Amino acid sequence: MAPVTMLEAIRQAIFEEMDRDPAVISIGEDIGGYGGAFKVTEGLLARFGPERVIETPISETAIIGAACGMSYLGLRPIAEMQFIDFIACCFNQVTNFVAKGHYLWGAPAPMVIRGPSGGGVHGGPFHSANPEMYFVHTPGLKIIYPSTPYDAKGLLKSAIRDNNPVLFFEHKFLYRRIKEELPEDDYTVPIGKAVTRREGRDLTILTYAAMAHTCIEAAAALEKEGVDAEVIDLRTLLPLDKEAILASVKKTNKLLIVHEDTRTGGIAGEIASLVCEGAFEDLDGPIQRVTSLDTPVPYAPSLEEHFLPNVAKVVDAARELARY
Amino acid sequence: MSPSYPAAKTKTSAAPALTRDTHLGLYYYMRLNRAVEDQMVKLFRQNKIVGGLYSSLGQEGISVGTAYALEKRDWMAPMIRNIGALLVKGVRPRDIFTQHMAKFTSPTLGKDGTSHFGDLKNLHIVSPISMLGDLIPVMTGVAMAGRYLGQNIVTMTWIGDGGSSTGAFHEGLNLAAAQRASLVLILENNQWAYSTPVSKQVPLRDLAERGRAYGITSVSVDGNDVVAVYRTAKSAVDQCRAGDGPVLIEAKTHRMRGHAQHDPAEYVPKEMREYWEARDPITRYEKFLTENKIWNAADKKEIEARIEKVLNEDREFAENSPMPPPELAEQGVYCDGCHTIEADWQRPKSEVTPPKTTFDTTLQVKDFGGIDQGFNVPTETVTGQTEPPPIKKSAKPAQASGNGASAPASSKSSAAKSKSAKAPVRKGRR
Amino acid sequence: MSIDVVMPQMGESIFEGTITKWLKKAGDKVERDEPLFEISTDKVDAEIPAPSAGVLKEIKVAEGQTVPVQTVVAVIDSNGAGAASVATASAAPAPAKPEAPKAPAKSEAPREEIPKPESAKAAPSPAPAPQAARPAPATAAKAPTSGDGNKVRSSPLVRRLAKDHDIDLTQVPGTGAGGRVAKRDILGAIEGGAARAGTSSASATSPAALSASPAAAARPSAPPPPASGATQAHAGFDSAVPREKMYFGNYEVQPMTVMRQRIAEHMVLSKRVSPHVYSIDEADVTGIAALRAKLKGKFEETTGTKLTFMPFFVRAAVEALRAYPTVNASVDGTNIVLHRDCNIGIAVALDWGLIVPVIKNAEEKNFLGLARTMNDLAERARTKKLKPEEVAESTFSITNPGVFGGLMGLPVINQPNVAILGLGTIEKRPVVIDDAIAIRSMVYLTLSYDHRVVDGAIAHQFMGKIKHTLENWTESIL
Repeated sequence: MAPVTMLEAIRQAIFEEMDRDPAVISIGEDIGGYGGAFKVTEGLLARFGPERVIETPISETAIIGAACGMSYLGLRPIAEMQFIDFIACCFNQVTNFVAKGHYLWGAPAPMVIRGPSGGGVHGGPFHSANPEMYFVHTPGLKIIYPSTPYDAKGLLKSAIRDNNPVLFFEHKFLYRRIKEELPEDDYTVPIGKAVTRREGRDLTILTYAAMAHTCIEAAAALEKEGVDAEVIDLRTLLPLDKEAILASVKKTNKLLIVHEDTRTGGIAGEIASLVCEGAFEDLDGPIQRVTSLDTPVPYAPSLEEHFLPNVAKVVDAARELARY
Repeated sequence: MSPSYPAAKTKTSAAPALTRDTHLGLYYYMRLNRAVEDQMVKLFRQNKIVGGLYSSLGQEGISVGTAYALEKRDWMAPMIRNIGALLVKGVRPRDIFTQHMAKFTSPTLGKDGTSHFGDLKNLHIVSPISMLGDLIPVMTGVAMAGRYLGQNIVTMTWIGDGGSSTGAFHEGLNLAAAQRASLVLILENNQWAYSTPVSKQVPLRDLAERGRAYGITSVSVDGNDVVAVYRTAKSAVDQCRAGDGPVLIEAKTHRMRGHAQHDPAEYVPKEMREYWEARDPITRYEKFLTENKIWNAADKKEIEARIEKVLNEDREFAENSPMPPPELAEQGVYCDGCHTIEADWQRPKSEVTPPKTTFDTTLQVKDFGGIDQGFNVPTETVTGQTEPPPIKKSAKPAQASGNGASAPASSKSSAAKSKSAKAPVRKGRR
Repeated sequence: MSIDVVMPQMGESIFEGTITKWLKKAGDKVERDEPLFEISTDKVDAEIPAPSAGVLKEIKVAEGQTVPVQTVVAVIDSNGAGAASVATASAAPAPAKPEAPKAPAKSEAPREEIPKPESAKAAPSPAPAPQAARPAPATAAKAPTSGDGNKVRSSPLVRRLAKDHDIDLTQVPGTGAGGRVAKRDILGAIEGGAARAGTSSASATSPAALSASPAAAARPSAPPPPASGATQAHAGFDSAVPREKMYFGNYEVQPMTVMRQRIAEHMVLSKRVSPHVYSIDEADVTGIAALRAKLKGKFEETTGTKLTFMPFFVRAAVEALRAYPTVNASVDGTNIVLHRDCNIGIAVALDWGLIVPVIKNAEEKNFLGLARTMNDLAERARTKKLKPEEVAESTFSITNPGVFGGLMGLPVINQPNVAILGLGTIEKRPVVIDDAIAIRSMVYLTLSYDHRVVDGAIAHQFMGKIKHTLENWTESIL
């Protein structure tokens, strides 16, 4: 197969799963004839019809609520948030209905909530969100944030087949920028498992989504300076792959966490705590992080660039840590 | 402007078309509802109930009358004051007791209380959460899924006058209307949202008006007349099952106790309370059954004995049940294979499985949204500076289409139009 | 059965209630759910029903009194038939049946006390109070000081490695940021073997420095919590009496060096693990003494190494070990590990402690080889030039307490050996030979052995063989 973009990989996953299982349906705004704001669902309506590709009014609470109700009858809805930023409009449904049902009254909600997220595309403060931590903080959900087409397709399939509600974040910066050849056959990627993008000895760089590519670039630059960085892509934020994180820290003894999410309350703090609990005596230096600023996402390109992490910032931090 | 749907009645409707069994069943469940709640008040004052206790005293006619119209295959999602509906659906008093007492034998194993429990597989009950209105989009989804699976089900849920102001109410009802979902929404107008009278939060006297705004069938009914409630609900359920879209039933009643046990509700004017006490649904029904010789004293005694027996048994069971073990708190966050999720297909899967002829996705927009056909609501047209093009006389009814959207039927009356755009007031809207 | 009647909680924020009226008095019969008393609270007044049928035995709170929620306000004496329900009138729930699958036990990370780094010059002020820090081995949590009193900067990893390998961080040059000891530095130190020995090692500080500032090396601090198996490591520091009883009158506290701590641990563990039994014999070494006297000078001249008694004993021991292999073994659970090599550990007393360098493959060495090796090891032991592998992997040990006087010693087995030979003083004693008294050079030999695997019969025969070898010396020593 020719290499495909991450967007195409996501579309393939949706198509293939809806082909495989008639219990899978799609619901969201403008996902029908228009094919979705980013064209992820292009062709879906023609193939599966209006019974399985349901277009809704602008009602995030109703979209998620209806998807939840459908899942109670054994369907597996894929609910789209046109921009993941709009998940804030249905925060109550997600955290109080969908996430808590199985724990409280034994009602699993096998649904997926997916949407384009992340910045670097001049989207401004309401179209560039990384809201993952509101939901990492919500027991009962699973949260996936892939960085490659292969992972996106495999993880979305796993999400659709999972009995639990899964939030699937698609970094819009990566939608069309990376291409990869995918296997012909059906495959899945397990939820909850990180992957090593680059092996190294001197320090571990832990990251996810668009920053994974930034970190790989940074690692290449660091190699020239004689610093051998290991890059680990989390892929799943909840549940975190604690074993992989601790194993890498035990190997390199230094940890740098890079995420596009804002600093305070970002997952770096959580990981730092985990590492102190599980591998304190393996640390040969303080745990460091490179993140976005603690501000809303600004609009002007010069402002947004200052706001976001980039290769230079990661290289600087890694170099410092290596020298410690 | 007064709507021309059935006015609120204060007398029990005469000449029922119900069977004796249905009558006695309605009475039994209303009495059981009240007895269960009375028992819980006692348990509460004996400090055996964890947390708060809510009462539906005076509203039993609504819970029982509406739920009685459902079939076994239908789904419901009750709220806090719909214990009567739960009992009609098949929940036992012991489940209500153990839920309130947070016992390990409760349907949620003690993980949540009051009426926050459900049963997906057998009784088809969806658990509420404490936030109001959220059941409406969820039950809309249940109705949509039921239709998709060919199950021909109707879903029913309740909301209060206060809850009808939430965003979830509006988003949910709008989606139900747009999807023509088979949802029967019972709006219990018991005149109070905690300590706020309905007049302070909704500028409508008859909350059924809210349903009109979504283009769906909306009716008001005397909520304390259980027969009227039942008949209205049955007709709504039948209509939904036929595919005519959601129905909103405003059932008028009064909350006879406070918001919860700790609220003595002294803000209710004495005369208001007395007005509604005279219209107690159970007392009215007893009078009706006696006057119409539908039952006799022996029937009543038998029902009371049956209720006493089940209440004692279930209360004993609940009191003797243990509390949950502490480690239970750590379990159940994820479904890790503990449930097998399988839809109940009542239609061949092949109907929705491709390959098939490709669906035509061309968008059909027949109503351009212009002003030629006039408006459905009274308004005035203000003449502007620019001259509008001449209005053509057209007999074609206006329709909108799209995916599953329902058509507000403005096609009923065609052309009361003239050039000077005097907009007619639509009457007779459902 | 007595049933408590309690003041109920009528609302989430209500914490007390007032009894406004008792509807029954003590001695009255009550039915279940019958109204019993009335209360008034901040939010609501209510009539409270009896929780059980029976007789109102006692009213504990009178009308007009205000009590907190859950207070017992009365007691009902329920008769058998009426009181079918469990006494749940009080808020205490019935004991939970363990039906739910037990959740996995919470794994608790051992909570480490934050170590208190202290400066080197602390006067030896003891902490008699039991909760003060106990003397503990040099742990990873402490920041060891260098001679000038500055703390050594490192990292958790570095400190752990230092502790595991018994390395004094003050002796490790740091190339990390700000001169801290980094991972590469400690790894280098471990490989290089600097300032390190095997099981009992001297701390890097010289004995002189030790006595000058006794508080310099091991400093009392909170011992780390025991990891699994770590209780063994601290067995050496248990007290048989409460600590306070040791501190009275005039005293001086001298913290143990690392070597001393290791010795302490080892001794306690050896005694705990191996049941020590002792076999005593004596050997007539007159012949050997004469031989030595005759050849001493020539030996040294020719070989360049001193001729002591030790090689004779070692050679005799090796012969005996070959004859009785059970004595040249280790115990691993229910397995006996019979060592084919005879690696003889020779205990060497040092000014600052004790060390046991090992002659590897003594069975392959001739007398001269043994002599040379022993002298070399002893010399380097005293100058602290032993390599780690030279103090490890012994299969049998010999100690010579006699060198300091006294008839004999009963040594502690050097784990993981199963026996140790103690040599007493060589002195002239009157003995009976052929019914006459003769003056002979005699030496007492003691064998401490592990009775798990070495029985008395073997032990005595083993000793007999040594004695025989010594008394019938045939091997040429030059």
